[in-house]
Amino acid sequence: MFTRQFGNPGPVLVRALLFAALAGLMAAGCDLPKQGRLHDISGHLPNLQFSLKSDTGQAVTNFTYRGYVVFLFFGFTHCHDECPTAMSRLAALLPHLGDKAKDVRILFVTLNPDRDTPEILHRYATTFDPVHAIGLTGNEDEIEGLVKRYRIAYRPGKSDSDDIVHSVAVYVFDPEGRARLLIRPEDSNEAVANAVLPLLNSAG
Amino acid sequence: MMWLQWLIPWEASASILFVTILTASLFVRGCRKIKQSLPQKIAFGVGLLSMYAVTQTQADYFAEHEFFVHQLQNAVLHHIGPFLIVLAGPKDTLFAGLPITGKRLIVGLSHWLPAQALVKLLFHPVAAVLMFAGLIVFWLLPSVHFIAMLDWRLYRLMNWSMALNGLMFWGAVLNSKAGRSAGCRIAMMLAVIPPQILIGAIIFFTVRELYPIYTLCGRAFAGISSIADQQIGGLILWTQGAMMGIAGILIVIQQELRQSPSAVDTRLPVEKRPGL
Repeated sequence: MFTRQFGNPGPVLVRALLFAALAGLMAAGCDLPKQGRLHDISGHLPNLQFSLKSDTGQAVTNFTYRGYVVFLFFGFTHCHDECPTAMSRLAALLPHLGDKAKDVRILFVTLNPDRDTPEILHRYATTFDPVHAIGLTGNEDEIEGLVKRYRIAYRPGKSDSDDIVHSVAVYVFDPEGRARLLIRPEDSNEAVANAVLPLLNSAG
Repeated sequence: MMWLQWLIPWEASASILFVTILTASLFVRGCRKIKQSLPQKIAFGVGLLSMYAVTQTQADYFAEHEFFVHQLQNAVLHHIGPFLIVLAGPKDTLFAGLPITGKRLIVGLSHWLPAQALVKLLFHPVAAVLMFAGLIVFWLLPSVHFIAMLDWRLYRLMNWSMALNGLMFWGAVLNSKAGRSAGCRIAMMLAVIPPQILIGAIIFFTVRELYPIYTLCGRAFAGISSIADQQIGGLILWTQGAMMGIAGILIVIQQELRQSPSAVDTRLPVEKRPGL
């Protein structure tokens, strides 16, 4: 019918346009990020999988950390800002988990494998938490593969720079190695503990 | 040979490679049977290559990790690439490039009633406008965008949907043989401009970070703050949406001017001709 109204296509389109604009505005208004809740990423990112070297020089894979809730974070030891902040907040989070904290591992994967030797990584990780935090390194391909898997911004081969681009998110994996949560810097320790405890309880 | 590294896909997609090669070879085959002018060939080639380049080179890394580059990528996938491809008017050439079984399949499909109904629905002016603007709004909803940038399957769905919708929309409005009047086609292009300006302006003027996923996963350009990135992205949507609409309208007007003397002669009986 509309195709026959060659001379006057306006009104229908105008109404449709107004409807679309309104719908868009309403949707945008309802879509404000929720405060006090962590981002649930279940089903959206692949399971934990890697083959790297730990800060004590051992070869480790995702299977090494089966049965643990893993906090995965990417950074480099010369970073002055995001990395120490994230690592110390993760260390400060553990007391909120009570005795379940023993089933948590904080994995710090270096984005600067040339500079961050296992010894340097070991010293760095144990500064924040000598029991739960572990530094991981590997060759450029291994690290790039892991970074790509979790959609982290990273360009390899800039090892001399202190200004490596990187992420601020901490990825949380359940004891089965499934990606479950994304921790933002602004999430409170209480909110993180509330979201992480059910994962720990499922570990049994 | 550093620049060759730029041609390596950041995330290789067999389906994009396959569809690009298939489309290009159909066009080349078809060009042997149907004459296409050089500007048409160039428009088709640049359109197709640009859509391949923004998804299957290192450019995709920056589109994943910088909001304004993501907006540029979508501008190519939804606007510029399809616009250029449609401008080449490649439908008959692509059809001529098909092997005989492919031709039979297409002809058979075009006689199949459900397919006809679907095409009629999808290409209805109101549906086409709503889908074109709605798709932009949908993928830019903060919660949808968050997951789409994390989940590679949704990321690909987003890019595919933008590219296909772009081809459909520009195919409907720029093609004078599509069966719609010039007035209707111009109205469709006018109708999609305000929503894009509105969304672009909302993004530009929002002082809060709407798309924190780029901060969480890291930005490709460390020197650009999250709000600056968001503002540039908003501006791109704001301006290029309007720009492409205007360009399309000018092209339709030009098509009409070229055809108008004969159109007046054949469509109206002598006594109703204007100015006579």
